[in-house]
Amino acid sequence: MSAHVASRSPRAMAWARRRTAFARFAREFSRSRSGMVGLVFLVVIVALAFLAPVLAPAWMLDVTKVMDSPRFAPPSWEHPLGTDHQGRELWVRMLWGAQVSLLVGFAATAMSMIIGTIVGIAAGHFTGIPGALLMRLIDFFLVLPSLILAIVLSTVLSRGVWTIVIAIGLTSWAGTARVVRAQTLSVESRDYVERSRVLGAGHWHIIVKHLLPAVLPLVLANTTLTVGSAIISESTLAFLGLGDTTLQSWGAVLRNSMDVSAATSGYWWYVLVPGIAIVLVVLAFTLVGRAVETIVNPTLRSR
Amino acid sequence: MPDLRFEDVSITYRTAGGGVRGEIAAVRSVDLTLPAGGTLGIAGESGSGKSTLAMSVLRLLPGNAQLTGRVMVGDTDVTELSFGKLRALRWADASIVFQGAMHSLNPVRTVGQQILEALELHVADGWKTEAARKERVSELLRAVDLPPLKADSYPHELSGGQKQRIMIAMALACEPEIIIADEPTTALDVIVQQQILEMISRLVTERGISLLMISHDLSVLASACQRIAIMRGGEVVEVGDALEVCTRGQHPYTRQLADAFPTIGDPASRRNPVTRRDRSDAASDPQRSPMTDEVLLEARGLSVTFHSRTKSARAVKDVDLVVRRGEILALVGQSGSGKTTLARTLVGLQQPDPGSVVRFRGRDLPRKGKGLHAFRKEVQMVLQDPTAALNPKLSVYESVAEGLRVQHYRGDEKERVAQSLTDAELTPPEDFFTAIPQELSGGQRQRTVIAGALAVGPQLLVADEPVASLDASARGEILGLLLSLRDRLGLSALVITHDLGLAWNIADTVAVMYEGVIVEYGPTEQVLLRPQHEYTRQLLSAAPTIQRTIA
Amino acid sequence: MTNTVPPTEEILLAETGSDKAPRRVSALSYFLSKLGGAAVSMAMVILLGFFAFKILPGDPVAGIARERQLSPEQIAQLRSQMGLDKPLWQQFTDYLVNVFTLNFGESYVYRTPVAELIGDYFWNTILLTGTSAVIAITLGLWLGQKAGWRPGSLFDRITSGMALVLWSVPTFWLALILLMVFGGTLQWFPTGGMTSPDPPTDPLALVLDVAAHMVLPVVTMVAVVYAQYVMVMRASLMEEKSADYLVTARAKGLRDDLVRRRHAVPNALLPAVTLMFLHIGGLIAGAVTVETVFSWPGLGKLTFEAISGPDLPLLQGTFVVFSAVIIATNLIADLIYRRLDPRVRRG
Repeated sequence: MSAHVASRSPRAMAWARRRTAFARFAREFSRSRSGMVGLVFLVVIVALAFLAPVLAPAWMLDVTKVMDSPRFAPPSWEHPLGTDHQGRELWVRMLWGAQVSLLVGFAATAMSMIIGTIVGIAAGHFTGIPGALLMRLIDFFLVLPSLILAIVLSTVLSRGVWTIVIAIGLTSWAGTARVVRAQTLSVESRDYVERSRVLGAGHWHIIVKHLLPAVLPLVLANTTLTVGSAIISESTLAFLGLGDTTLQSWGAVLRNSMDVSAATSGYWWYVLVPGIAIVLVVLAFTLVGRAVETIVNPTLRSR
Repeated sequence: MPDLRFEDVSITYRTAGGGVRGEIAAVRSVDLTLPAGGTLGIAGESGSGKSTLAMSVLRLLPGNAQLTGRVMVGDTDVTELSFGKLRALRWADASIVFQGAMHSLNPVRTVGQQILEALELHVADGWKTEAARKERVSELLRAVDLPPLKADSYPHELSGGQKQRIMIAMALACEPEIIIADEPTTALDVIVQQQILEMISRLVTERGISLLMISHDLSVLASACQRIAIMRGGEVVEVGDALEVCTRGQHPYTRQLADAFPTIGDPASRRNPVTRRDRSDAASDPQRSPMTDEVLLEARGLSVTFHSRTKSARAVKDVDLVVRRGEILALVGQSGSGKTTLARTLVGLQQPDPGSVVRFRGRDLPRKGKGLHAFRKEVQMVLQDPTAALNPKLSVYESVAEGLRVQHYRGDEKERVAQSLTDAELTPPEDFFTAIPQELSGGQRQRTVIAGALAVGPQLLVADEPVASLDASARGEILGLLLSLRDRLGLSALVITHDLGLAWNIADTVAVMYEGVIVEYGPTEQVLLRPQHEYTRQLLSAAPTIQRTIA
Repeated sequence: MTNTVPPTEEILLAETGSDKAPRRVSALSYFLSKLGGAAVSMAMVILLGFFAFKILPGDPVAGIARERQLSPEQIAQLRSQMGLDKPLWQQFTDYLVNVFTLNFGESYVYRTPVAELIGDYFWNTILLTGTSAVIAITLGLWLGQKAGWRPGSLFDRITSGMALVLWSVPTFWLALILLMVFGGTLQWFPTGGMTSPDPPTDPLALVLDVAAHMVLPVVTMVAVVYAQYVMVMRASLMEEKSADYLVTARAKGLRDDLVRRRHAVPNALLPAVTLMFLHIGGLIAGAVTVETVFSWPGLGKLTFEAISGPDLPLLQGTFVVFSAVIIATNLIADLIYRRLDPRVRRG
């Protein structure tokens, strides 16, 4: 065994180590029942969203093509989730809506995560004036009412899906940054970072070799939780009439339902179905996120 | 007055980590007796089960612990008591002095309130009314040499020694018959430690209280207890009269523990720390020292001041220091003396005040840039806690190679790593390449850190409390390694420590530091056997020793 | 053995009995420093307001012109009305002057000064969000500490489960559901507005009328936000459970629930309170959708109506005011924290 090990290059050893760590992570994750349920559900939803054009061809959304379809039809065998105020099948709108909600959710989260991680590590690593300034910046963005700011941005910039992505991304990064900064500070105070400095390491080495690997698991847990809240934000903004109103976002469907007073007129499926979809998807992300968090932070194990 | 008896006590922890059910035996079939009014010490390293045993007296073990056997306080079996009776027994019959310097006090309540709480739970004739209880708190504080108005302080406003006194006062509050002291002096200054030990001994003798003291430090127990029990791996390996156990221990483990803390002045332990190997095959002649006259590192008029917004603190004041090639210099001081700041300045991690002179091999120490980077090849540092000093995610290979990568080493990296591991006596090196720190023992981790420092090929090693976090058995190993590195590679060392015994073990020269100033400096024999300065004498007399006849 | 050495600080204090007075950070200096921080935040909000509404790409006039067909003369008139034809730095100084005189311009939709509109609707929102905040925080703290003390118990699993589900619910949807069930179908509560169309004059009856209208919106806001607070407090207490001083408390003979109440909870409260107030922005922003769905006449509803314009002066006004409310709330949180943590009172 030793001879075999000794003949491997350092790079191969490092990758072997990473593979073992990942395998251990996957094994632990599979033990979490709620995490697995969430993950499976998400895989199904993503698959469905992907297959939307196949399962529900675009013509089914065209108002002119469904003139014969009854309006406000309650759920039945013919109309599995009922129809909307223009006769379109609700399940069709839901499938296409999944695309928008998931896409915006992922994109906005990616933006938020990248900004948050970079700013967070920088704020924690650099001392003195730059560090203090970055901390003030993070605190400032935390204080801002993110929804209001997102509304402002969506209104002021040109309407569209990417505006929403930018609006959510720019207003939600501070939460991640704060958590990343706290973790960076705690890692910075560890002896092995000091040892690195004594060995002659500069900023880049310390950030890439020590800070980033220590912070990434936390970021991963945070990401899954953030996607959930990004989807909620997106649906809220769509509900308020922002973003691209031609897209089938679940929030837009609910806006339609409010506009036609579905809640008080007894068209319960119009209100219930899109909402439950949002709740289930966000819940799935939350369960996955919490399972990851438990693995990453062993002190949370008892939950 | 009741005895405290452990009768065939076994304690196991049920674990359910990672979906695997298991059991860890923390204590195995222990029989021990603490007679009424007597003192018993339990010594052992981490994992020996001594704290678990002590906690079982008041049934303070976590929920997943299972206890078999009997724990008798007088005629009462503690393990059989109902919760109500147990709560009544707690603190009133037996109390515990925890490590006060740690977080054993509630941070958001005043210490007075916390002592009062004990009095309110166990009301007795002496403190029936609220006024009487307040008076008792003052009385208790006076008994531990604290001014009564300290009762209104919060824990964060007190020093480590003061907090420990509060813990003692609180333990005495309800007039218990048995006191258990769990590592009462760990993390305290040597001088404060002596005061606390004296206080505990005095108080229990005055009030006729039985004392059970737990410690990893045999010499601490020797100074406070009549009898000592040695625990290892959950079992009692030896028990007997304190002096007997320490000087003429039967069990080899007992002897190993006793020898880990040498007596200053004992020639047998001079330059001869206990290692796992037999003492007789120590490679070097203890009398000869390979130290030369060539000056490696020199400091003249070195001062370091810390500036904060409100005030500035001078941590190091006008220090002169010299480390020669082949020399092992021990810098001895208590916490707050400035020794760590001095070490960090010499390694280039801290800027000294203007006017300070620090030279390495005749040239001024570079403060930044390429010069500092090159300097890092010459002088390396080893920190106190090897577990914290290694990134837990990186393998041994990667940790040792880190220095080489940062220094852009041009040679064969793998060969150099293997060589460093061999020099640090981790052989065969290939076995350790893929190990992660979690899989290593404390001594092995420290060796890995040393190997990492050796990899860049330094001429001087600065070691800040290199053995303070290690068990007694690993202590000798690492000290032996430092000596052998000096012999084999000509590596000089500057060892920072609070422990004079360590200086006696391995150092050629000793510098004693107090409040930023070097108060005494000279060859080891001279400083430790014929000390000139008052502070050195105080340190020497405060260090707990096992009374041994010196040949 | 006599001591002839210079005594250490320990011995000095003990012998003489004298003491340095514990260093007190006075309430006033603490408040002033936090007020300073709040002022800086407010200044940055004002700057951001200018940046967002004047500088960002997407000429607001073009945005309005897209929605409605405007002739070039009307566009130019709108430009000068909004002050967009002046140089940037002059726009900035005008803006600053306006903010300090609380002049937010005139709303496009309502044709009244924005400041007046906000003044009318401000206290309605405070009533709604304030009540919701107090209930959500209290409920969150109480449930959280009870659940956190015994993780895995039935109570904990139910509480955590409910909290997780409610955390995944969008505020506006819950509002719609409650409206549908309790307002529409069951008709237990009014479906909109702050008072009945013909409000009663008798003060007590008026209060009850408003309260009846408040029930559904408050329940909505509390339901979504309390979940977050429960999880925060629960996590905080769970982390506190392993603290050493709790072992000391038990060793003294304290009952379990007293250990929880007197020792664990006061300490667990500290990080929990910090986190809760940090996320108070979420609660306040929830007012936008809740007020819209329930037609509650508040700042949130104003914001909603400003979107459809887009009524930029109104939007700017509500943005600044919402931010100010959150900054003020954080200031209150800092003062509360000082009360709770003696390490802040006495450095």
